[in-house]
Amino acid sequence: MDLFEIRGGTLDVIAEEAEHQDLSRESTTMESFNVTSDRGGRTTRDVSTFQRFSVDTNESLHFEPCEAITPSPTGAEDGNDEDDVFKEEGTESEIVKIRNRLQAKVAEMESFAGHLEEIFLTVEENFGRQEQHLEQHYNDVLQTLSQRYDERAAGLEEEKKGKLEALYTQLLSCGQAMDASKELIETAQEIYRTQDKRLFLKTVMPTIKSIEEFAKEESDLTLTTRLEFNTPLADLSDVKTMMDSINVVPAPSAPVINPQMPNSATQTSLRVCWSLFSDDTVEYYELYYRPVLEDKPADSTHTAQESKVKVKETHCTVTDLLPNAQYELWVTATNTTGISPASEKALYITVPSPPVIKRRECTSCTDAALIRWESGNTNPVDSYTVELSEMGTDDTQSSVTESIVAVPTCQCLIQLQSGRRYLISVRAVNIGGPSDRSEVITVSTTGTFFYLLEDTAHPCLSISEDGFTMFYGDEELPISAMGLDDNTFARCVAVLGDLIPVRGRHYWEVEVDDGSEYRIGVAYEDTERNSYLGAKTTSWCMRHILTPSRHKYEFLHNGWSPDLRITVNPLRIGVALDYERGTLSFFNVDLEQHLHTFQCHFRNYIHPCFSLDNPGALTVHNGIEAPEYAFI
Amino acid sequence: MALTQVSSNKCAGGFQKVFEHESTELKCKMKFAVYLPPKAETGKCPVLYWLSGLTCTEQNFITKAGGQLPAAEHGIIIVAPDTSPRGCNIEGEDENWDFGTGAGFYVDATEDPWKTNYRMYSYITEELPKLINANFSTNPDRMSISGHSMGGHGALVCALKNPGKYKAVSAFAPICNPMQCPWGQKAFSGYLGSDRSTWEAYDATVLAASYSGPQLDILIDQGRDDQFLSASQLLPDNLIAVCSEKKIPVVFRLQPGYDHSYFFIYSFMADHIKHHAKFLNA
Repeated sequence: MDLFEIRGGTLDVIAEEAEHQDLSRESTTMESFNVTSDRGGRTTRDVSTFQRFSVDTNESLHFEPCEAITPSPTGAEDGNDEDDVFKEEGTESEIVKIRNRLQAKVAEMESFAGHLEEIFLTVEENFGRQEQHLEQHYNDVLQTLSQRYDERAAGLEEEKKGKLEALYTQLLSCGQAMDASKELIETAQEIYRTQDKRLFLKTVMPTIKSIEEFAKEESDLTLTTRLEFNTPLADLSDVKTMMDSINVVPAPSAPVINPQMPNSATQTSLRVCWSLFSDDTVEYYELYYRPVLEDKPADSTHTAQESKVKVKETHCTVTDLLPNAQYELWVTATNTTGISPASEKALYITVPSPPVIKRRECTSCTDAALIRWESGNTNPVDSYTVELSEMGTDDTQSSVTESIVAVPTCQCLIQLQSGRRYLISVRAVNIGGPSDRSEVITVSTTGTFFYLLEDTAHPCLSISEDGFTMFYGDEELPISAMGLDDNTFARCVAVLGDLIPVRGRHYWEVEVDDGSEYRIGVAYEDTERNSYLGAKTTSWCMRHILTPSRHKYEFLHNGWSPDLRITVNPLRIGVALDYERGTLSFFNVDLEQHLHTFQCHFRNYIHPCFSLDNPGALTVHNGIEAPEYAFI
Repeated sequence: MALTQVSSNKCAGGFQKVFEHESTELKCKMKFAVYLPPKAETGKCPVLYWLSGLTCTEQNFITKAGGQLPAAEHGIIIVAPDTSPRGCNIEGEDENWDFGTGAGFYVDATEDPWKTNYRMYSYITEELPKLINANFSTNPDRMSISGHSMGGHGALVCALKNPGKYKAVSAFAPICNPMQCPWGQKAFSGYLGSDRSTWEAYDATVLAASYSGPQLDILIDQGRDDQFLSASQLLPDNLIAVCSEKKIPVVFRLQPGYDHSYFFIYSFMADHIKHHAKFLNA
């Protein structure tokens, strides 16, 4: 194969040597580095090819031979300093691009080679079959012929035997007749010769009689059998039909079923293609398919239902399938002679069902969002793709959609820009392609947004429909309601919030009643569920206590609080959390008044926490842009 | 109104200066300290007025309080005047440490021999701001006031008597209810006479009860181990009670282990300047 032919062909092979040959035709050597030794006053072209490496499609690394009439100032013999590869800044990125292209091409080639192998094998098989078939056919004919020959030969043998026997028998009877005649004659002669005339007279008459009788007998001297043999017409009609059938069109060879093309499947259908690698005539194809069952049963009696479709073309779209399911497919070709053997079984998979975003488990802040979803498929999928696009201020969706591919699990933390609105959706992906888009969720990056972790709520705490207001009712709950769940608060009537795990700044507000005693703050996810908020080192909170004489406020951590007085009771409390600075601040939002700041070092991610110490209600407000004074 | 620079030291990226001038209210030479943050070189800055306590001069704050670093960070000019007129040669002015020299109580005296010179209230609220605004790169609309002990009393009184003039107010161990404590009674009877009704105009607790004006946001730090607290000189509970009643926002912090000294002030100065910055830089 001439390398020149490959270059520019569909396979686009690296053709370093081709380049080489091209250029070095002009130079005289095949070496990559051509040194011209004779410098002084040359008028002929200095051909030097300074090639580090060369790739067919990239011009910037392809160095034309340059004219170097004067020696280079540095005294380098190549005279080619200006083309120094490493001086060019763009070269590195070019190199990376080329490398990526090459990698893609190599992958293409590999899969193409794989498919080619399959095709080669099938063609070999097909031709092997044809050969075999032919051999067998002719063998059959030969066998039949020799059989006939044997038969005929045996027939002739038989005839011969028959005739010979008949003749022999005749011979025997002739011999016997002769013997009898001879006897009579001898008897007669004896009698004639007898001296005894009396005896002679006695016997002569009967002897003459027997001779006369004997002479009267007709001897049959005709041959009993014919001398010619019977040559019946050989009945070779079946041999003839066999010979004829060699020339008749054989049954087709097995077709080759193609591997699944990317993006050709939908949730419920598959587009299957195949081809015939022989010159057979085909009337129609039959495509068989059955689902691949997860559990391989011990007995093979429970195999899945096989279905079949009859088509004239070499492709077919199979419908009514289950999403994210594997199917085994094979195809046979049929013509007047018969049905081909089945093709290899190919495994196709339908596209998955779209995932379902778990809205109450999605959280966000000013520069990121954490989206969680359910797979939407009973069987595992390969990966997920998250798509997001920005919403403009005039409520129009941007035409640009950003995709995050190869997400391995059912959640994704996405970096976003603050002060925008985004529409986010998820697709499930398998070899068949991506599913339809899930329902869209709108994320706003004005502030920190979270729902409550209702699993952690104390049994006495009930949470509103919208998930942001909590009530501590008066009613006594039955003991049975106090579950043995490890995750719920058991003494403090508290609940945690699902804050996004991003170590930045977060702000939220809490609306309280004048009369409710509450604790508001933050806690680690693993804070002890049977202790009160603020009692251990795992939580920090602002506590409001109502005494008969006044309102009392504490800022608790590890059971300790500073001693302070607040003259105006906050009804709307702003909580500002700054991971970097290690601060947790509380504000009276209505007055924009700073109440207290904890200085803490958060070793882990922190969750907002809320509790009611007496029956009452509390509402969480989030997604709010933090006021300026919150993070001075 | 000529200013003479007495000293200048580079501090926290800016300059701690001390000036002297002839005061028209106090009719004597007065010194005051000015901290100019780095931002003042290129733009206008808000001003925080710091009123020191009994026996202090303009030096105590600038050497002991640690205010320069947070002031530089928030871009605030801090002016720390003296606590009374000096060198007026009034009889009896040096007899007591808590009355007379170094104990001006930030009032405008009405009794002889004090009434000519002891006009610290007008000095602080009128003369000094005019002087500062004329000579430094200030933002005249943005002023706030703070102080310690007697200065705390002064800060509270100035803020309550001038609704809207000061954008923020805070105090360290202030004398909250001078009419009810020995210090206040001694000073007021000396400066204002025996008619107690005249004292009410300079008592933060009384003023709070009748305050009407833009919303305040008062931060008060008080050392729990402050000897004067236990000696009933400071009486913060009275102020808190009135403010709770009148819904004047106050955050009062009782700091365990801390006393009345500048070590206590130093410990919480940054919090106070941050509190002022919130309003001055808004």
